[in-house]
Amino acid sequence: MNGFARKFRWELFVAGMVILAGVWATFLSPYFLNAGQLLYASGNFIFTGILGFGLMAIIVTGEIDLSLPSTLAVCTVLLAKFSMFSLPLWLAVPFIFVVGAILGAINGFLVARIRLPALAVTLGTMGAYRGFAFIIGSEVGYTGFNDTYLWLGAGTIGKTQIPIQLAVFVLAAAVFVVLMHFSTFGRRCFAVGNNMRAVEYSGINVVRVKMAAYVIGGLTAALGAWIFIGQYGSARGDNANGVILGVITSVVLGGVDINGGSGTIVGVILSIIFLWTLRSGMGLANITGEVQELIIGVLLIASILISNLSRLRLAYGKRQKGKSKVVDLGRDV
Amino acid sequence: MIGTASGTRSIAQGLADRISRNSLRLRLVSVFISFLVLFVVFSFTSRNFFNFQNLKVIAFNASLLTIVACAEAIVVITRNLDVSVGSIIGLAGYFVAKYATAFPHSGVMIIVVGVALGAVLGILNGLSVAYGGIPSIVATLGTLAIFRGITIIIGRGIEVPSGNLPRWMIKGADLEILNVPFVIILAFVVVLILAFLLANMPIFRRAYAVGSNPGAAVFYGLRSNRVVLFAYTVCGALVGLAAFLYVSRVGTITVNLGRGWELTALAAVVIGGVSISGGSGNIVGVLLGALILSTIDNGLVLARAPEFWRMFIQGCAIVGAILLDATIERRIQTIFTRRRA
Repeated sequence: MNGFARKFRWELFVAGMVILAGVWATFLSPYFLNAGQLLYASGNFIFTGILGFGLMAIIVTGEIDLSLPSTLAVCTVLLAKFSMFSLPLWLAVPFIFVVGAILGAINGFLVARIRLPALAVTLGTMGAYRGFAFIIGSEVGYTGFNDTYLWLGAGTIGKTQIPIQLAVFVLAAAVFVVLMHFSTFGRRCFAVGNNMRAVEYSGINVVRVKMAAYVIGGLTAALGAWIFIGQYGSARGDNANGVILGVITSVVLGGVDINGGSGTIVGVILSIIFLWTLRSGMGLANITGEVQELIIGVLLIASILISNLSRLRLAYGKRQKGKSKVVDLGRDV
Repeated sequence: MIGTASGTRSIAQGLADRISRNSLRLRLVSVFISFLVLFVVFSFTSRNFFNFQNLKVIAFNASLLTIVACAEAIVVITRNLDVSVGSIIGLAGYFVAKYATAFPHSGVMIIVVGVALGAVLGILNGLSVAYGGIPSIVATLGTLAIFRGITIIIGRGIEVPSGNLPRWMIKGADLEILNVPFVIILAFVVVLILAFLLANMPIFRRAYAVGSNPGAAVFYGLRSNRVVLFAYTVCGALVGLAAFLYVSRVGTITVNLGRGWELTALAAVVIGGVSISGGSGNIVGVLLGALILSTIDNGLVLARAPEFWRMFIQGCAIVGAILLDATIERRIQTIFTRRRA
């Protein structure tokens, strides 16, 4: 194996899976491989994909955020309220981005500054934010959005069939490639996830890095909300309920270490595309949503198991060769 | 500690120390006090709150939650989480209902089937966490989807009507001994047994050790993955028991049975003073936590507050309780380091 193949082994594996899933879906239905269909159906994965980017930044620092879909729901019902009072879009959108950032910052403050366990805290805020979304919007769904609110999620570019949200996704992907792999912040995220103590001793403000990651997560949730209302044309407190499983799966399947410190955005993008192809295929094969979730759950567990096993074997092989005498006990023994 | 206190230290400092040292005990007391405060507040807000009938309803609702929360607590004590309990209730409950429909005369076997299936599902969780090295929340988030998916596959969305269940199951749920529902007594017995075991049985003491310092537990020679697997198994079995009780109480079983219970159970555990970072907490606290949640539920319904307030309050209560616990833990740590110095 040459250097490139070795370095991007996982990404190549996922890319292969994408092709396999695509072939499978094509065999299932002649309607799958059709430019118009592909562009149209791409809408289903975009808002979860964008949440995946935000979650990736958080997971790389070694934390997690389960509350992202709830944050998204708060933003969609807020957009519904603004649309109800016919507020102009240029006022509403900055506002929801601020709200998303604040909700992310609350998580970040509790996790990074007060050092509470991220899982439990964001499990709590997941419920709290979801409840908050219902409190703002009550239990009634809202569908009477102004058309100006919907263009990002529903419109197409010019006279082509390309959805605007797909362009947004590509743009977001580009931004995250630069942010995570070609910026100081990105390097610091990886460093914090690898060895927080060492980063702290080298004079970098760990709290600030983690806070920033959570705020970025909140911002992606706000962007996701804006796309969501265009995609579905409605807003309710239970929006995006239960998508967190798919979002975590897309990040972990993309080769991001769930304990932080490694992974690439390209891998996440590939796994988002893979999951979407798989879901479309399963949809064509008349597999119901719940069973799809089952398969996604199996994939999630299997992908971590495989990466854990390969890492174990790597450590074992090194020890056998006598290259390293260090016994890796792992972070959580 | 008081004896060694030098004269220079002020009385206020001594008092603060004493509070800190007893903070774990005070934590339990504070849970109890907030329970009482809730009672007083709700008694004022709605006239129908404080009477025997309503108190019975609260205790009845809390009894199932208590069993599930105790199960969750055992896992949390080992510094892990189980967010699949709702789906275990769903799968075990649906299976119990199917089994009872197919073999209505198998008597106790129905309970055994529920508990055993719960234990098996717990073992699956435990294996992937303890031996697969998957972080507990990710693993159980996966099994949450998997167990629910299996329920839907075997159920095909069809519900099991209550008429199919044997009569003793339906009647058993309404059975009252000396005016106290049987389910409440059962939950109380489970709490007593677990409280005793957690304080005395070696493997449960090991669970505390693993939770409070996993690294040290390994160096001490504990096989921590066995302990974690055991915790998940017990958790699954208890949830299986709760699933049986739930089935006999609800009667008509849908594939959505038990959805969302994981959050409520976790809330009860954390509010009840079981530290989310493992190693501390007891069953009595969990019982109080479950009672508090069920009281809030009941009070909100009587006050005609919309259902979603409950979600908000639950989430905030989880975060608040974690915050309180972290503060206490840090206090205790400061004392220990000072004593050493």
